[in-house]
Amino acid sequence: MWATLRSRFLHLSASSLTSSSLTNGSWKLGFSGLNQTFSSSAVERKSNELLSLQEVERVLSDVRADDVSVVPVGDQCDWADFMVIATGRSPWHVKNIAQALIYKVKQKQKGAKRMVLPSVQGQETGKWIVIDSGRVIVHALDEKARAYYNLENIWTSKTSHKEPVEDLGKAFVKVRRINNSKKPAQRSD
Amino acid sequence: MIQPQTHLNVTNNSGARELMCIRVIGASNRRYAHIGDVIVAVIKEAVPNTPLERSEVIRAVIVRTCKELKRDNGMIIRYDDNAAVVIDQEGNPKGTRIFGAIARELRQLNFTKIVSLAPEVL
Repeated sequence: MWATLRSRFLHLSASSLTSSSLTNGSWKLGFSGLNQTFSSSAVERKSNELLSLQEVERVLSDVRADDVSVVPVGDQCDWADFMVIATGRSPWHVKNIAQALIYKVKQKQKGAKRMVLPSVQGQETGKWIVIDSGRVIVHALDEKARAYYNLENIWTSKTSHKEPVEDLGKAFVKVRRINNSKKPAQRSD
Repeated sequence: MIQPQTHLNVTNNSGARELMCIRVIGASNRRYAHIGDVIVAVIKEAVPNTPLERSEVIRAVIVRTCKELKRDNGMIIRYDDNAAVVIDQEGNPKGTRIFGAIARELRQLNFTKIVSLAPEVL
């Protein structure tokens, strides 16, 4: 979207260069500032992520989680980059996997004024625990739940569900129908 | 705006087809439920030969509402139907797949399990 906007803006500025240089300059300034803020926020998000993929993998190997699989989902959905799916041998083991990951986050942020913890769901039962740490989402399941929900199957077999944007663009464009009537176009009077 | 006696579609493969809300969980005397709220519902219609049966009382999370959902950035989302996902007491979904688009507010409301099963997140 930004790219199209920017190109449109450039086009606009090129056409209106002759008309008013002052307003044009101010517009350009505002736009570049906006762009900068966007890029900086993206960089910040990268740096203060709760858990990186390597850390997750190390922790999972430390607690001996079985059958760890990492699925890159960045091209299929925009709300996460990686899904890590791990199996625990018992409810206790599944809970321990979650605890180890939370402990790792706490260790990482030691000494910080405000600690940010990932949201953890399903910690009471230990059947399926999800640790949602931003772009990396860790699922710890017991064997039964893993076979039942079959999470890898969803995210590996599914091809990109993104619909072509051109069709959507066409849908919003109003098209005047061709006049096929045989009647003469001009009115008689 | 889901209130007791509202009928909802079920949008996962748990075996139920239609629900009727009988209670909104939250504060006492809570009137309406919106996207991401848990309700107690009774199954009005079910697929034959599935674990869930008609007139069974279950919990469900609302994932789509006809009443529009407003976001802070001015975006408004409105669906064609009222739909819910059947969950158990622990919050695990009963079915294994979810159909249709769901809102990303569910992730903030700690339903990441439902979001990760869904095919499309708006």
